[in-house]
Amino acid sequence: MRKKMILTDPAAALTRLLDALEVVLVESSDEEIMQAAMDLGMNPQMKGSAAFAGIKYRTKPRQSDFYDIEFGASWPKSLQLLQRQNSKDTDEK
Amino acid sequence: MPQLKPFYGGLVLLPAETALALKLVTETDLLRLKAIARLHARGLPADVSWDDLLQEAFARVIGGARRKPDGVSMVVFLSGVMRSLRSEHWRRAQLESRDSYALRRLRDSEDSPDPERSMIAWQEMARIDRLFADDPVALQIVLGLAEGLSPDEIRKISGICKTDYDSARRRMRRALLREGLTSCEKK
Repeated sequence: MRKKMILTDPAAALTRLLDALEVVLVESSDEEIMQAAMDLGMNPQMKGSAAFAGIKYRTKPRQSDFYDIEFGASWPKSLQLLQRQNSKDTDEK
Repeated sequence: MPQLKPFYGGLVLLPAETALALKLVTETDLLRLKAIARLHARGLPADVSWDDLLQEAFARVIGGARRKPDGVSMVVFLSGVMRSLRSEHWRRAQLESRDSYALRRLRDSEDSPDPERSMIAWQEMARIDRLFADDPVALQIVLGLAEGLSPDEIRKISGICKTDYDSARRRMRRALLREGLTSCEKK
C-alpha cells in the first residue's frame, strides 16, 4: 500500500473528489437538508422559498451573473441594502 | 405495476414510468439535487451553471434520452446523469481548447493533461479545501478521496478511528449542504 499521497493530474483528482462527495450528499437525510436551509435563513416550506431558486423558478439576473464582484462590508450601507433587496438570498420571516 | 422492457441486459423503466417516478421526487430531493448539481458544476466551463446541469438532466430523463434502471432511486439516477453531463461538457471544452495554438504549445503531448483544465481543477480543489479549513480530519479525508482511496485506506494512512471518520463525514455533509443550498452565487 502506498505510504505517500501524491496528486498527479489535478483534473482527475477533482473528478474523483467530486464523485466521492456526491455520495456524501446523496446520503444526506431530509432533516440535515432542512437544517442546512434553515442555517441559511431559508424556509423550504414557504411558498416561493429562495431555496428553490433555479429549480422551481428562474433566479432573477443579478450583477454578479455578469460581473465578477463581491458585495462585501466595504460597500456603502445604502448599496448593501439595495443589493439585499434585489437579490432575495434569504426568505422573509 | 410499471411496464418494463429489457435494456442492455437489465430492466429499465419506460419514459412514461420514468415521468411518473419524477413526480414522486420530493421537495427535499430537489434540494438534495441542487446541492449535487452545484458540486458537479465546480470547475465546469464558465458558460455552464449548476441550474443548466440540473435542468438538462431532467430534460434528458423526461425526453427519454436517459432511461432509469429499475430499483435505482431517482436522486441517484439524476446524480449519475449530471455526472455524465459534467464529463460531456469537459470533453467539449477540451476539444475547443485544442484549437488554441497557445494551449497546444503548452501541452507536451496529446496525452498530457490539459493545462487550462488542470489550473481550474487546482482552483476548485483549493475552494473545496477552504470549506473544511478548520477541520483537519475532514481535510485528510478530502485528500484521500481525491487520491481515490477507500474509507478504510484513508483511516489507515491518516490514523483516524471509525467514529472520528464518521463524525467528520457528517460535518463535511453539513458544510456541503450549506454551500450547495446557498443562492447568492450562480455557480
